[in-house]
Order: sequence, then C-alpha cells, then structure tokens
Amino acid sequence: MSELKEQLKSQIIEQLNLEDLTPADIKNDSPLFGDEGLGLDSIDALEFIVLLDSFYGIKIEDPAAAREIFHSVDSMADFIESKK
Amino acid sequence: MKIIGHSYINPRGAFLNGQNVSIATEENYLKKYFSELEIDYPKFYKMDLLSKGSFLGDYLLRDSYKDLLHVENELQFIFANSSSSKETDIRFIESYEIKKNPSPSLFVYTLPNILTGELAIKHKWFGENIFFILTKFDSNFFIDQIEMSFLRGNEYCLCGWVEMKGAPEDECFMFLVAKSEVVNDNLSNKLNEILNTYRNE
Amino acid sequence: MKCYLKYGAIISPLGDSVEEHYSAFFENKSGIKKEEKTGFNAENLFLAKIEGLGNSRYDTLLKQACEKLIENYSSSFLQNPKTGIIVSTTKANLAAIPLDTFESTRKIIDEIIHTFSEPVIISNACISGVLAVNTAADYIQSGKFNQVIIIGIDALSDFIIYGFQSLFALSNEACRPFDKERKGISLGEACGILVMKNTPDEDFNVEVLGGASSNDANHISGPSRTGEGLYRAINKTLERSEVSKEEIDFISAHGTATLYNDEMEAIAFSRLGLCHIPTNSFKGYFGHTLGAAGIIEIIMCMVSMEKNVLFKSIGYSEIGTTETLNIISENRKMEVNTVLKTASGFGGGNAAVLLKCIQ
Repeated sequence: MSELKEQLKSQIIEQLNLEDLTPADIKNDSPLFGDEGLGLDSIDALEFIVLLDSFYGIKIEDPAAAREIFHSVDSMADFIESKK
Repeated sequence: MKIIGHSYINPRGAFLNGQNVSIATEENYLKKYFSELEIDYPKFYKMDLLSKGSFLGDYLLRDSYKDLLHVENELQFIFANSSSSKETDIRFIESYEIKKNPSPSLFVYTLPNILTGELAIKHKWFGENIFFILTKFDSNFFIDQIEMSFLRGNEYCLCGWVEMKGAPEDECFMFLVAKSEVVNDNLSNKLNEILNTYRNE
Repeated sequence: MKCYLKYGAIISPLGDSVEEHYSAFFENKSGIKKEEKTGFNAENLFLAKIEGLGNSRYDTLLKQACEKLIENYSSSFLQNPKTGIIVSTTKANLAAIPLDTFESTRKIIDEIIHTFSEPVIISNACISGVLAVNTAADYIQSGKFNQVIIIGIDALSDFIIYGFQSLFALSNEACRPFDKERKGISLGEACGILVMKNTPDEDFNVEVLGGASSNDANHISGPSRTGEGLYRAINKTLERSEVSKEEIDFISAHGTATLYNDEMEAIAFSRLGLCHIPTNSFKGYFGHTLGAAGIIEIIMCMVSMEKNVLFKSIGYSEIGTTETLNIISENRKMEVNTVLKTASGFGGGNAAVLLKCIQ
C-alpha cells in the first residue's frame, strides 16, 4: 500500500506537471484540492481521471462524483485497492 | 505619470528597484526565488513559466502596493511579450502527439493572458487587463497604453514584459505606474534605461 | 472625439460578405455541422468549419479577408500614417510552431493592406475582440490615429479542438446557448474586420459610446459563480458611456453554451437588472470563434441596427439558467438603437462595449 502511495505521488507530479515538487512534498493525508495542501482544482480533477485510466485502467464517468476519491493520496490509494 | 516601482527576473538574478535581491546559477531559478521568498502559495507549482515569472515579479513589488488606494478596481494590468505562451503550447502538443492524452492542465495555460488572471486572483483585484504581442519591448508602446488607461479613469497600471520560454535570454520586467500631475516627458527613455541596466547586470 | 464603426469584411461558414450573412441570419441558418472524425478519438464533432481553406487555414483566411477589405477601402485611406491596425487572435498561425506563430500575420497585413504602422496584436483569450474595439476607441480619442482597422481572427486546429475536448467543454450536438439542454461549446473559425473612424459617414454609422474590462479574480479557466467580473465590466461601461440601462435595446451576450458560462452571465445580468432586455448569443450561428468572436458578433450587432431586426438565438427553446432571461426565440422587427456587447473568457477576463446607431 505504501509503495502504491509513493508511486501515486510520482504519477501526480508527472501528470500535473508539478516538476518543482518531489514526492516527499506531498503528504498522504493532506487535502489535494482547495487552498490547503496542493491547491488543486476542477481542471486537475480531470487530469486525475486520465491518470487513473492510463496507469490503473480505472474509468470514471462522472467527474463531479470523483471529488471524494481525489481528496488525498490516502483516499486515492484506497480507491485503487478496492478496484483490484 | 510616475514609476513607483520596478522588478526584474532572469535566469541569473532577481532585482527590485535596481537592487539585486537574489542570484541564481541553477537551472530551476524560479523555484529558487520562490523558496527564498518563503511564500505560502501552493498554486505556484501548477503555473506555467509566464505565470511563475510574473507572480514572483509582482511579489517583489509588494511594498510598492502598500499605500495605494482603490487598487482593486482602478489598477489595470498591461502585459506583453513576443512569443505568447509558446513553451506551454509545445508541451500541450506533446501531450496529445506523444503521450496520447491531451492535458487539460496544460491547455488552460496556452494563453498568455492567464498570468493576469493569476495576479488578479492572488490580489483579489478586479481591474482591467490586456495582453499584447509585440516583436520586442517597446517603451513608447507601453507609455501610450498607460496614458490611454489613465484617460479611461484608471489610477495605476501594473505593466510587464514577460518573455519566458525556457531560454537563457528569458526575462520578466515589471513596473508599476501611478497617475500623477507631474508631466514627465522622458518616461519612455527612463524605462529603456532601467531595462538596459537590468539586462547588463 | 467620437468613434464610429464601419463594416470591413466578414468570412465565416455562412458567407464572405455582410449581405450574405444578413440573409443567412434572416433564415436562421447555422454554420455549424457534423464533421466526421475530427475529435481526438476520431469522434464526429459539431464545428463551424469554412470550406476550402486547405492546410494553412489561418493564413488563407487572413489573406482572403484582407483582400475583401481592400476592395472597399482606398489605399490612401488604408496606408495613411494616421491609420492604425489592431489584430485580435488567440492562437494566430499555430501551424508555425516552434517558430513565430505571429510572423505570418504581420507579413500578410504588410503585403495586402500595406498599412503604415505595424499591427498591434491583442491576445487575451475570448475577450480579445471586444478589447480590440475598446483599444481602437482609445487610439482615436487620444488622437494617435484618425482611423483604425480592427481584425478578429482564429482558425480551427487539432490543438484547439483537443484542448476543449480535454476540458469536457464540447457539445455532442450543435451548441444551444442558454437552453435547458445545453451541453457545451461548438467551435468555429472566422475572420471579421471592422473599421473605426473619427468622422461619421453620410449613411449609416455606429458610434462606440464606451467600454471596459474587468477580471473575475476567481479562477483562470472557470467562470465566476457570482458573475463578478462581468457585472463590474458592464457597470463601468454604462458609467463611462453615460447611458442608463433603460436605453439598451438589445444585448449580444457571450453565450458559449457551457453550463457554467451561461449561468454566470445570467447571474451578472440579473444583478444589473438587465434580464428583461432582448438577448441572444450568436454562437449558434458561428460557433465559438475565440479571437474572432467579438468582432464578427459586433458586425452582426451592426446588421441588427442597420436592418432593425433582432435575430433569434438559435439552439434555444427553454430557459436553462436559474435567472430568467429574455432570450430572443424568433427573428423580430424592432428599432434597434443601443446595443450592449459582452464577452468573457479564460484568464477570468470580461469585457463590454456599448454601441449606438446614428442614422
């Protein structure tokens, strides 16, 4: 699971072009969206949908419903595990 | 009109009102200036080069804004460069041609005026904004635009020449101008002098 | 100093003259149609595409429009040192990447129109066209120029299409601005040219009363939930024009047909007490043509004023915003004297201009 989380962080940095950040800058449980944490927004949620599809083969049809899944690295990892 | 502050950023240094405030030797100089300034603004990492450069140039000018009144409505952004958002354009093309996934987070930065949006969000300023494409920095052009802006009723112009495409000659030159009764015929020459001094540092 | 607008040229899928556009609009003909395999995954998209532009679409379109302009204006007018030129475009000739995408614009203008001064290029997303008209008015009022040529242009490209697809912003049918069933944008391409002068002609003139822009200060790509920037841009425009809102006969809205844009506009119009004024979006005819939009839509506002007809907002049948607007559902004869044109776009920009017909 922790391996998955580290991998996710690298993929987030790659997918969102956050090359100034390192995986260590992203905490497992801090919110990815909003003004705290990484300050991501709805456009980045679209990138996460692409990320889940291209790296994990998981398709999300409704971008709005995915907000909870994308709350943090923890919640994304839980979701990916549950789909395995 | 009166210049009340100016800043300059390039891959070698960051400057405020003629004074050097940081020196860089590393490739990622924007990240270096950002961390030195200890700004808490996570959105910075998502920005393209144009927005990052102007965000830092604007932050350097923060003391110049302190005593200004009505900035939220009466300050206009006048920005320009020669290559628009070319660096991000190329990266977006790569996202669909090579990575086979058109990237929305890159696409939203494929317009040069996005940097004015970022500055407006940061300050909560609702004033006018415009972005021009010029072949090179032209002080007379900026002076004309500033004069016309003041005639329309604005009181300040935050201007910028932001040519950033990941090249050694990248630069972000910003200057803040206030409306004033003082007639200054040589402002255009003065702007050229300021920029040339920065370029030769 | 007063500023007057005249037709320059217009090329879209609906024709290559103002007269052709008038008859197409009179018949409520749309330039949008299904184009096979144009999407990133070879989807069939609804686009307003001009036939016969070939591979260098932007350059060809710009050349055609400039040729039309010189048919109607003398070289002594166009090449006068007191004639300025402004170009509104978001992406110009994208095909030139990694080289200069704006070089061909300057070259084509120099070769065909041969203006004395270099073109001033405005690239400020979807509000570029309205900003270009407001900037032209500034030039005339400051006395720097006596007349200004204003070109608005953008061409379709994979870049633009895939970009809007990646944002899930495209409609899977022809766009339906302000409608309950609207699903997003239809992209288009066009070139429009206006000519602004400091003296009126004997026949029909449209005066630019005033204009303004304002930033939402909210999000770089999403419309403000409160319509703050548009509200302020219109308010400032009314103040600068010294016109009361009761005088406005018609609003040519931005109306891209995305859920959030149209809702944002409705909120701003409601906050300003403008909901009862007949309103349309021309996007159902032209699609969204980005840097050309403001210019070609102002040309159609001028047609409305000249012919005294309000054009139906095509794609609209039932209101789909929380505030009820007076969307024009059928062409209607009416005296149209004062028109408000608005635009909103990426980067949080909003712009407005007030036009008045002087017969």
